[in-house]
Amino acid sequence: MPAPDSRPHLLARRRLRFLGLTPDDAIRAFFGGNAVVAVIVLALISYFLVREGAGFFGQNRRNLEVYRLAGLEFVDHLRAQEEGHTALTRRLSELRLQAFDRLSRGGADAEAAERALVGFDAYADRFGVAIDPLRALGSELGDVATAIKTKFVVNEDRKEERRQLSAEGRTAEAERVEVMPIDFAAAVKPLLAARDRHREVNRALAAELTSLLVAAPAPPVPELRESLERFGAEVRAYVSELPAIERRLETWDQSRPVSLGEALRAFLFGRQWLTASFWQDWYGLLPLLTGSLLVAGVALILAVPLGVGAAIYVNQFASTREQRVVKPAIEFISAFPSVVLGFFGIAVLGEFLRQVSHVPWLDWVPGFPFSERLNVLTAGCLLALIAVPTIFTLAEDALNNVPRALPEASLALGASRLQTTLRIVFPAALSGIISAVLLGLGRVIGETMVVLLCAGNRIAIPDFTQGLGVMVEPVHTMTGIIAQEMGEVVRGSIHYRALFMVGLVLFLLSLGINFLAQRILRRYRLAPA
Amino acid sequence: MNAHPTPFAPRSRQRRLREGLVIAIFRAATYAVLLAGGGVFADILIKGSRTVFQAEAPFINTTFLFSAPESLHVFEWEGRRREMGDREFRAFREREPGAADVRAESFVYSAGGIWPCIAGTLLLVAGAMTLALAVGVSSAVYLSEYARDGRFIRFVRLAILNLAGVPSIVFGLFGFGMFVIFFGWNVSLLAGWFTLAFMVLPVVITASEEALKAVPQGLRAAALALGATRWQTIRTAVLPYALPGILTSSILGIARVAGETAPIMFTAAYVVRDRLPWEVERAVDFLFQGVMALPYHIYVVSSKIPQNEYTERVQYGTAFVFLLLVALVAAASILLRNRLRSRLRW
Repeated sequence: MPAPDSRPHLLARRRLRFLGLTPDDAIRAFFGGNAVVAVIVLALISYFLVREGAGFFGQNRRNLEVYRLAGLEFVDHLRAQEEGHTALTRRLSELRLQAFDRLSRGGADAEAAERALVGFDAYADRFGVAIDPLRALGSELGDVATAIKTKFVVNEDRKEERRQLSAEGRTAEAERVEVMPIDFAAAVKPLLAARDRHREVNRALAAELTSLLVAAPAPPVPELRESLERFGAEVRAYVSELPAIERRLETWDQSRPVSLGEALRAFLFGRQWLTASFWQDWYGLLPLLTGSLLVAGVALILAVPLGVGAAIYVNQFASTREQRVVKPAIEFISAFPSVVLGFFGIAVLGEFLRQVSHVPWLDWVPGFPFSERLNVLTAGCLLALIAVPTIFTLAEDALNNVPRALPEASLALGASRLQTTLRIVFPAALSGIISAVLLGLGRVIGETMVVLLCAGNRIAIPDFTQGLGVMVEPVHTMTGIIAQEMGEVVRGSIHYRALFMVGLVLFLLSLGINFLAQRILRRYRLAPA
Repeated sequence: MNAHPTPFAPRSRQRRLREGLVIAIFRAATYAVLLAGGGVFADILIKGSRTVFQAEAPFINTTFLFSAPESLHVFEWEGRRREMGDREFRAFREREPGAADVRAESFVYSAGGIWPCIAGTLLLVAGAMTLALAVGVSSAVYLSEYARDGRFIRFVRLAILNLAGVPSIVFGLFGFGMFVIFFGWNVSLLAGWFTLAFMVLPVVITASEEALKAVPQGLRAAALALGATRWQTIRTAVLPYALPGILTSSILGIARVAGETAPIMFTAAYVVRDRLPWEVERAVDFLFQGVMALPYHIYVVSSKIPQNEYTERVQYGTAFVFLLLVALVAAASILLRNRLRSRLRW
C-alpha cells in the first residue's frame, strides 16, 4: 500500500471530486458498469435475434400468399390425393414382400413363389395404374401453376432491379425495365376449369378401385388374409375421402387473405422445412424441433444414469483417493471440444455402432440392424459424453450440500450406508439433481457441432410409427440447420430470417430450461440445517 | 428395519451382498464414463500421433505443424505410387518430361500443414480472454465487494446464470447480426473476439467471484480499519490474494473459448486463407481480417472431404493437435486449482 507520506493522517484526507464523484465513487461506478454487461449482452442477444428474425413473418405471409394466388395450393390438394394412392400402392408391395417371404420359408423355390403370386401381381398392377389419369391431370395443372409463379418471381426480380436502378439515379434505364402486372385471378382460370374434369377422373377412379376390391384375388398365403382385409378397408376409406377433396377444390378461394397468425402457425407447427425448391419453400419448425428433442432424449437416457450414478458413487462411497482422481478426470472430459467428438463420431463411432447393430444376437434391440452410420443414436451417444460432466458436477454439488445431520442421524438409527444414501441423501438432494439434469438438457439441446456432424442431417420428421426404432433414423436439428445453412443464405432473404427465428426459438428454449432449473433448485431446497 | 430385533444386529450375508452389488453398479457407472472419455482421447491421440510425430529427427513433423494447408495429389509414376503437395507437384511436373499429363487424384487440405489454423486459434483465444477477463473480473469485483444483496443484484446474477445457458450457436448468430452486419466489421478477428468474450463471460465471472469470496473477511476489515478506502482495500488486500485463483479458474474458460466452433463459424473463421494473420498491409487490417481456426478446420476436413487413407492423416493430425492444446490447458487449470484449494486454507 503506498504510504500517504505527505499528509498528516489518513482519515483527514480531502477527497478529490469530479462531476460530484469521489474517485472511489467513480471506481465503484466502473465496476458496477461492468457487472451490468451480462444484462446488456442478454438484452442485445434478444434484440438482434428479433431484429434480424422478425421480418420473417411478413415475408412468409407473402410467400404463402403467392402460394395461394398462383394456385400451387390448389394443385397440392390434388397431389394429396395422389399421395394417398401412392401410400396404398406401397402397402401392396409390402404385402407382396411378406407373401413372398412366407412362401419361400414354406419351402417353395423362387419360381414357384413367383407363380403363386401372379394373380396378386396383376391385381397390384391394375391398382397402380388406376391413378394415372389423375396423375396426368395433376402434372398438367402443376405446370400451369408453376408458370404463374415463375412469372411472378421474374416480375419481382425486375421490380427489384428497377428499384435499384432508380436508387442509383439511372432513371432512364429503370424505365426500360419491363414489369408486367399479373392478373392472378385470370391466370388460375384453367385450374378452376379443370374441376369438372377432376370430378370425372375421380368418378372413374372410385369405380375402378371399388370394382378391384370386389374382384380381389384370394390371398396367396392364408396368413395375409387379415392384412388384405385391412387393406381393403383402407381403400374404401380412401375412396370415401374423394368427395371431400372435390369439395376442397370447389371451395378453394384464391383471394382469401393469409393472416399473420397463419404465417406464425406455418412456422411453429409446419411439418416441412424445404428450401430452394422449385415448387414451394416451407419453413416449418417441427422436423427440426423433433430432431433436436429426439437426440437430446437419447443423450439424456444415457447420461442421466451414468452422471447421477457416478455422482452418487463418488460422493458417497468412493475413498478420498479415488475421489481425487475421478473428479478431475470427469471435469477433464468436459473440456473435450465438441467438434473433436463430432469427428470421432464420423470416423469411428458411427461405423462401430453400425457393426454392433449387425451382430445377430442383438436383433431384439429396436431398430437394429441399421445401415445409416450417422443417426440419432450416434449423435446421442456423443452428446451423452458432453452432458455427463455437467450432470455429474452439479449433482455431486447437490449431494454435497445435504446437511451432514441427515445422514448422520440415519446412520445412528442403524441404517446401512446404502439405505442412508438412497433413502435420505438422495431424496434430500433430489431438487439439485433434477436441476442438474435440466442444465444437462440445456447443454445438449444447444450443442451444435456433434449433431451437425453426426445426426445424419435429413430434414424430415422421423417416423415414430416404428416405436423405439426411431432412434436409428437420421435427423436434422435446430442448431445444426443454423450452422449448416447460415453461411449460404442471402442476407435479408426469407430463408435468412427463418434461420434467425430458429435461433430465437433456441434462445427462448434455453432460457426456459434454465429458468425451470433455478426455480426447482430454489423452491425445493432444504433450509440449511 | 423392523425385521431386526435391535438396530445394531448384524446384517445378514445376503443383504450385505445385495448392498455390495448396488454399490458396484454405481461404481461401474463411474468407470464407464471414464472409460468412454479415455477411449475417445486415446483413439485421437494414437491415430493422430502418426501424423504429428515421425521416426527421424526432429521426431516432430514440422511440415505439418508449421506450414499452410495444400491439396494432396496422388498418382502412379514409374510403377510407384507418389504423393505430393501442391508446390511439390507443380515443380515435379516442370522437372520431369512427360509428367505434364499425369493423372492425379486430388484431395484438398490433405497435404501441407495447419500452421495458419494454430496461429488463428491462438490469436482468437488471446484476444477473447483479454476482453473477458477485463470485464469479468471487474464485474466479479463489483458483485463480491461492492454490491449489497438487493433486487438489482439478484437480477444481475440471474442474467449471468442465464447467459451461461445460452447455446453457443445463438452467440454465433448474435455476433453475426451485431458485429458482422450491424457494425459492418465483416468476418473478422474483432467480431470473433467479442463474440467469444461474451460467451465465456459467465464462466469468468463465476470463477472470479469464487476466488474473491475465498479471501477472508478479516483482511478487508483490517484494511478498512486502517483507514483505507474501498478501492485501496480491494487493490492491496483482496485482489493480490484472489488473483491466482481467478487466473487458474479462468484457464478453464480458455479451454471453452478455444474449443467452440459454432460462435466463430460466421463471425471470424475462414475455410481457407493464404496469408498468415500478421501479414497485413495496414495495422488496422489486422483487426478486420478473418482467420483460419483449428476447430473450424476440423469441421471442414471431417465433413467436406471424403474419408480415406490420405485424408485421414490430416483429419486425425488436426484433431490431435487441437485436443492436445485444449487438454493441456484444461489439465493445467484443474491441477492448479486443486493445488490452490488445498494450499490456501485461511
